[in-house]
Amino acid sequence: MTVGEYLVPRSLPEAIDLLERHGPELLVMAGGTLTMPLINEGIAMPDRVMSLRHAGLGGIERRGDVLGIGATTTLTQLLAEEGVPLLREAARNMASWPIRNMATVGGNLFTPSPGGDVAVALLALDAQVRLAGPRGTRVVPLADFHTGFMTNALAADELLVEISVPTTVRQTAFIKFGRKHANTPAVVTVAVALERRDGQISAARIALGAAGPHPIRVAGAEAAIVGSALEAGVIEQAAAAAVRECRPLTDALATEWYRRRMVGVFVRRALELIVEQHRARVAESA
Amino acid sequence: MGSKIVTFVLGGREVEVMVKPMTTLQAVLRYQLGYTAVKEGCRQGGCGSCTVLVEGEPVLACLLPAEDVAGQQVTTLESITPVDGLDPLQQAFLDASGFQCGYCTPGMIMVSKALLEHNPRPTREEILDALAGNICRCTGYEPIVAAVEGAAQAGAAPGAQRR
Ligand SMILES: Cc1cc2nc3c(=O)[nH]c(=O)nc-3n(C[C@H](O)[C@H](O)[C@H](O)COP(=O)(O)OP(=O)(O)OC[C@H]3O[C@@H](n4cnc5c(N)ncnc54)[C@H](O)[C@@H]3O)c2cc1C
Ligand code: FES
Ligand code: FES
Repeated sequence: MTVGEYLVPRSLPEAIDLLERHGPELLVMAGGTLTMPLINEGIAMPDRVMSLRHAGLGGIERRGDVLGIGATTTLTQLLAEEGVPLLREAARNMASWPIRNMATVGGNLFTPSPGGDVAVALLALDAQVRLAGPRGTRVVPLADFHTGFMTNALAADELLVEISVPTTVRQTAFIKFGRKHANTPAVVTVAVALERRDGQISAARIALGAAGPHPIRVAGAEAAIVGSALEAGVIEQAAAAAVRECRPLTDALATEWYRRRMVGVFVRRALELIVEQHRARVAESA
Repeated sequence: MGSKIVTFVLGGREVEVMVKPMTTLQAVLRYQLGYTAVKEGCRQGGCGSCTVLVEGEPVLACLLPAEDVAGQQVTTLESITPVDGLDPLQQAFLDASGFQCGYCTPGMIMVSKALLEHNPRPTREEILDALAGNICRCTGYEPIVAAVEGAAQAGAAPGAQRR
């Protein structure tokens, strides 16, 4: 164990202050499920580590039609939150119970591909992220947060403090396809959030995980379904567009070739799921 | 940058340990306190063999700096084993042949213990979901699931009728 100092701030101002004082060499850790394996293995050998576990950034708050999710909210806490079904589905499909008890929602945005299952759902919900540093706070759309493989818009002296999502989006679907049924990294993850007006899709967001250097949206597939009533032919077009647009990686789990094909299969299935849910809802209210 | 004294409650008894920065709870329990039921399989969060309960919830001791449990309740397999005899869950694992080499067993039992506390009558699906992070290389899992089902039927959860 080579770590020289372990800092455990008790508030956000204290955490920001420590980060400013010690500079970018200070390793920030939330739930530790990504960081601790690297330290245990000697891959990361930080001089100083700061834990956010007791900095008061956990917990979920409702503000009208918005859900504010503190950065260090655990995935178990997210799973218990009933306001946004898409996020529950994402949390339910992630890792194992003990990992969910430790891993944070904020940390999931820093998880390299093929990880970041919750981030994919958050992207489909058009989440906003709040970043705080010595110069104050700024809010950035999650769509602009990731800038490349393991790079993002966070400045070296900033911390992620909150992720907010609307609670009003109701037509959603989440599918994580892995090599095993549970506790497995994704071959591909698909999250869809749609808005419908007078039977037609008025807004569409389709987000993919393990299909790019970070969670991505597929604009061509989204455009294919806006204005439609999600007819079978339209769904096929959207799936084909997603296959063209995605940029999957090859790793030990799956090749780029296989992932690209699975993007087509699971975008189609996710949209079919929404059609089924919609039909059931219409039948129920009739 | 020296060591720190950390105090926590282990199996109902307050303990005080001197730890270097970021020493894991796993290392403290195994090597400083001799609680060797806390296994050291992968130190990556991937096997579940180091599972302990912190404030009653299962967590992985290999991913947890000991400083983070200051003031909290930690429960290991040692803490739930009565002075003479076995916890009903341990007995259920014995009855169902829920282990062979036994390496995964403490982790399996700690997760199952927490599951039955939360949910005294889990379905098979709920048992599989709870144990999804615990790897067993011997049994093929079926006897483990049977053991948890058996314990649930026998009312092994403290909240249930029989103890
Ligand atoms: C066995 C196992 C299974 C897993 N399964 C899955 C899975 O199915 N799906 C999945 O998506 N992931 C999975 N993961 C990865 C990981 O657990 C999750 O992505 C988790 O959400 C990461 O959060 P954390 O708080 O534990 O990260 P940490 O390790 O605490 O943090 C990781 C990095 O994020 C940064 N960071 C975290 N929070 C902040 C903040 N508030 N401000 C600034 N920087 C911050 C830090 O730079 C830090 O280095 C798994 C991990 C393990 C060990
Ligand atoms: S040793 Fe902790 S999960 Fe494997
Ligand atoms: S009994 Fe040997 S690993 Fe489970």
